[in-house]
Amino acid sequence: MKDSTFCHTIAERINTGVLVLDIEYNIVEFNRFMQVHAHKKQEDVVGKSVFEVFPELPRRWFERKLASVIQLNSPSFCSWEQRHHLFELPHTRPITTDSKYMAQNCTFMPIVGEQGISHVCILIEDATDVAHYQGKLNHVLDELARANRIDGLTQVFNRKHWEECLDKEFSRARRYGHNVALIMFDLDHFKKLNDTYGHQGGDKVLVDTAARIKSLLRLCDQFGRYGGEEFAIILPETDLNGALDVAERIRSSIASTVINFQGSAIKVSTSVGVSVIDSSHQRYEDLISSADYALYQAKKLGRNRVANSHDFATDAALC
Amino acid sequence: MTHFNLNEDQQDCLQELINVAMGQASDQLARYLDTFVYLKVPSIEQVSSSQISDTLKVEESAAAVVSQGFFGYEGIRGEALLVYQPKDSDRLADLLGYEPDELSVEEQIIDLSSILTTTFLNVFASQIDNQMSYSAPRFLSSAASNFSDHIEQHTFNWDLALKVKITYQVTDYSFNCDMILLIPESAIVNITQVIDRILEEF
Repeated sequence: MKDSTFCHTIAERINTGVLVLDIEYNIVEFNRFMQVHAHKKQEDVVGKSVFEVFPELPRRWFERKLASVIQLNSPSFCSWEQRHHLFELPHTRPITTDSKYMAQNCTFMPIVGEQGISHVCILIEDATDVAHYQGKLNHVLDELARANRIDGLTQVFNRKHWEECLDKEFSRARRYGHNVALIMFDLDHFKKLNDTYGHQGGDKVLVDTAARIKSLLRLCDQFGRYGGEEFAIILPETDLNGALDVAERIRSSIASTVINFQGSAIKVSTSVGVSVIDSSHQRYEDLISSADYALYQAKKLGRNRVANSHDFATDAALC
Repeated sequence: MTHFNLNEDQQDCLQELINVAMGQASDQLARYLDTFVYLKVPSIEQVSSSQISDTLKVEESAAAVVSQGFFGYEGIRGEALLVYQPKDSDRLADLLGYEPDELSVEEQIIDLSSILTTTFLNVFASQIDNQMSYSAPRFLSSAASNFSDHIEQHTFNWDLALKVKITYQVTDYSFNCDMILLIPESAIVNITQVIDRILEEF
């Protein structure tokens, strides 16, 4: 007798919810943790169906879960990581976390009576704290992963990530015979600009230009800083005409925009090289070479213009 | 490394205990899941902590690995790893008797892991007059994070473990997965004592 009083006191005081159901889903035990958190009196819930007391329970799922416990005579679990909570209960950190309900780890245990399994005991542990810090950790990991992809100054993809994107896009395009176009552009006379306005002026031009070009692109286009003042854009599912359109928009947008820096109006232009995947491109690096060659031609022909590698390929073939 | 090597009798006894447990577990699972569940004859071997990543390398393509700890009287304890291949999880909800929108794929995998582990180990434990308790199953890796990365990041505080591998097959759902029981060095001594007692009683 003394032993059972002892156990009863512990079950009452423990910081874990103890909820015992008979196999008809009626509540048999409802410890203090449950009474306090659910804000319900023991005498009001004992004998009632758990679905009546906690209407938020997913009934079909819950019945199947209990069936596994009863039929297999083995425990079952329900973690906050897969299901944030089962019972809509408040928790102990309402002020310092943003969680509305208590995150829960629930354990379902069979209780064997004289004629087999007579009850199922559900233990409910408050995991709000763990869930909160795991959420923060995931957020930081996401930030780190982002920082690893993004160029710190211009906020477009960095070279490494951009090349990985191109590698994937290129392989996909080759495998399925899809189109992919590449635009590379380089700001004209950037060194002179740096010399005139200082590196801060140069940086402002890079930042403003990247932001402007980004607004001209589709969501699926992948825009990266290739190096210094050179940028590159992958255009999936785009043919030469489409790519030339985009390239011209980029050129004219940059040429027509004045960048204000410490009272000076800076005017820049850009040379743009365009290439589209063809059978001569074995590796993604070949496509870069083509676009880079076109960019070089655009510079050679006087800058502030668009050139495409396929024109020169044809010229070369004619000669 | 040989000080707790099982001798032939002990090995046979353990194999027999596992075979019987497999038979009963398969029967219980078939009734609960309402379909035939085949358990393939397991392999029992010793692995060292330095081998463990190699031993589990074959599981590299796994879509998910779930770990569930188990512990019983007489110091019998270990970790069960459930290894799922990518194509295995298509019809899990159906197999488990849930509607797909009632629970996420992750929860289905966790649920099934727990069912497979506890059903087998409950029967195994009852044969050696023991009773198992279990920790909640957890993902060691999922599609998002690589299992061998997880294993390689650890320096283990054990040298040797007993490894029992059992393959579950549910042909009606073209589903199969592996359950790998790993029993650490300290617990092998305990399990050997239990086996010796059973052998004496024969």
